[in-house]
Amino acid sequence: MDHAAPSPVPLGQAEVSQALQRLHMTIFSQSVSPCGKFLAAGNNYGRIAIFSLSAALSSEAKEESKKPMVTFHAHDGPVYSMVSTDRHLLSAGDGEVKGWLWAEILKKGCKELWRRQPPYRTSLEVPEINALLLVPKENSLILAGGDCQLHTMDLETGTFTRALRGHTDYIHCLALRDRSPEVLSGGEDGAVRLWDLRIAKEVQTIEVYKHEECSRPHNGRWIGCLATDSDWMVCGGGPALTLWHLRSSTPTTVFPIRAPQKHVTFYQDLILSAGQGCCVNHWQLSGELKAQVPGSSPGLLSLSLNQQPAAPECKVLTASGNSCRVDVFTNLGYRAFSMSF
Amino acid sequence: MKTKAPHLDSDTVGELDEVIRKRLLIDGDGAGDDRRINLLVKSFIKWCNSGSQEEGYSQYQRMLSTLSQCEFSMGKTLLVYDMNLREMENYEKIYKEIECSIAGAHEKIAECKKQILQAKRIRKNRQEYDALAKVIQHHPDRHETLKELEALGKELEHLSHIKESVEDKLELRRKQFHVLLSTIHELQQTLENDDKLSEVDETQESAMEADPKP
Repeated sequence: MDHAAPSPVPLGQAEVSQALQRLHMTIFSQSVSPCGKFLAAGNNYGRIAIFSLSAALSSEAKEESKKPMVTFHAHDGPVYSMVSTDRHLLSAGDGEVKGWLWAEILKKGCKELWRRQPPYRTSLEVPEINALLLVPKENSLILAGGDCQLHTMDLETGTFTRALRGHTDYIHCLALRDRSPEVLSGGEDGAVRLWDLRIAKEVQTIEVYKHEECSRPHNGRWIGCLATDSDWMVCGGGPALTLWHLRSSTPTTVFPIRAPQKHVTFYQDLILSAGQGCCVNHWQLSGELKAQVPGSSPGLLSLSLNQQPAAPECKVLTASGNSCRVDVFTNLGYRAFSMSF
Repeated sequence: MKTKAPHLDSDTVGELDEVIRKRLLIDGDGAGDDRRINLLVKSFIKWCNSGSQEEGYSQYQRMLSTLSQCEFSMGKTLLVYDMNLREMENYEKIYKEIECSIAGAHEKIAECKKQILQAKRIRKNRQEYDALAKVIQHHPDRHETLKELEALGKELEHLSHIKESVEDKLELRRKQFHVLLSTIHELQQTLENDDKLSEVDETQESAMEADPKP
C-alpha cells in the first residue's frame, strides 16, 4: 500500500446521482419556526430540510451545524410555498397543502398531520399552489396558484370557505394588508387585485402593465412578487419594481433595476428585494439603491427575515434560490455564511 | 551560607520543593536577608568569644549595623506590603467603576437602538411623503384651476345674459309684428265688411225702387 499518495476512490452511482441532484436543486421556499431557532427550506424535489439557526450562529459552529438537522420527503412535486403558525408548519406545492407539527419535526418524527386539497373546478388536472398566506384574525389560510382562484381554508375545521375568482391567469404571490382584512394577489395576468375578505369580493384592481412608467413589455406582464405596508404596495416581476400608493392607485417610485425581482419585502425603512441577479438589493423608499449584497446562488427566489421575538439572537435574513445553499446574512450588510442541503 | 546538601530520597524531595519554594518566595528582596541573619548569629557567637576590648567593640558595631540593616529591610518589606494592599483596593475600586460604566454603556446602546428605530420610522414617513408629493406635483395647482373655473363660469354667465336679452328682444319683436299683423287683418276685415254692407245697401235700394210703383 502506498502511504505517500492516496489512491483515488471510484465514485459510486449513488454519489454521482446525489451530486447531480445537489447541482440542479432549487430551494423555493423558507419558513422560520415559531421559536425562531430553526429554519425550514423546501426544494424542487419535494424535500424539506430543517436547519438549526441557533447552532449555526453560535460561536462554536462547525461544518456540521451548517447542514440540515433533518430532511424529509414532503410532497411529490416541488414545495413552492411554506408558512408557519405558532405550532404548525404548512407546506404546499403539488396541489395539496400539508400540515406538520414543529415539535414532531424537531424530534425527527416527520409524519404529516393532515393534508387537504382545495376544491378545484376540474378534477382532471391538479394545479400547483404557488402561495400561502396566513390570516391570523380569522385563523385561516389562503391558498392561490394554478387555478386562478384564491381559496380560503379555516385552520380549525379544515373546510374551504371561499373561492375568490377574478384572475384570468395563475396567481404567483399573495400579501396581507394588516389594517383592513384585505388580501392582495398578483399573477401572471399582470394585475394586482385587492380582495375584501368580509364581503369576499374584489375591491380594487391595478393593472400594472398599463402604466407607462413601470411597464416593460419585453419582460412580459407577470407579477412575480408583492409586499404591502398598509397604504403602500411594492410589486415587481415583468414590469419594473414599483412602489404604489394604494388609495390612489398611482405608481410613486420606480426602482431602477433591470432584472425581474422574485421576492420583495418591507423591512424598517427599507425595501429588500431579490431576483434574477445574485444580490439582495436594499432600497430606500425614494428609489435609491442603498446596498447590493451578493449571495451565493446565481438567482434568488425567496427571502426570509427571522423576526420571531423569542429568539432575538437568531435575527437574520436568509436567502435561497437556484442552488442548494441558503445564505445567512447576520448583519444585513454582508453574507456571513451559507448553509446547504 | 549553605548547609550541606540533605539526602535526596523520595520522601524528602516533596518537602524540599516546598521549602525551596517558601524560601524563594520569602527572599523576594534578593541578596540574602536570610544569609544576613545567619551571619548575625555567627558574629554574635564570635563576639561572645572575642578576646580584646577593641575587637569586641568593632564586632559589636558590626553587629549593630547588621541588625539595623535587617530592620531596614523589614521596614521596607512592610511598606511594600502596605502599598500592595492599597493598590489592591484601588484596583477593586477601578474595577467597580468600570463595571458601572459598562452597564451604563449597555443602557445607552439600548437607548440609541430605540432612537435609531424611531429615526428610521421618521425617515420612512418622510420618504413616503416625498413620493406622494412628487405624484401630486404632476397635477396642476388647485388655485389656478379654481381661478380658471371661475373665469369660465363668469364668461358662461355673461353669455347667458346676452342670450337672454337677445331672446327677449326677439319675443318683443315677434309680439309687435303679431299686433301689427292682427291690426292689418282687422282693417281688412272691416274694409271687406264695409264693402259687403255697401253692396247690400245698393241691392236693397234697387229692390225698393222697383217696389213702391203700384
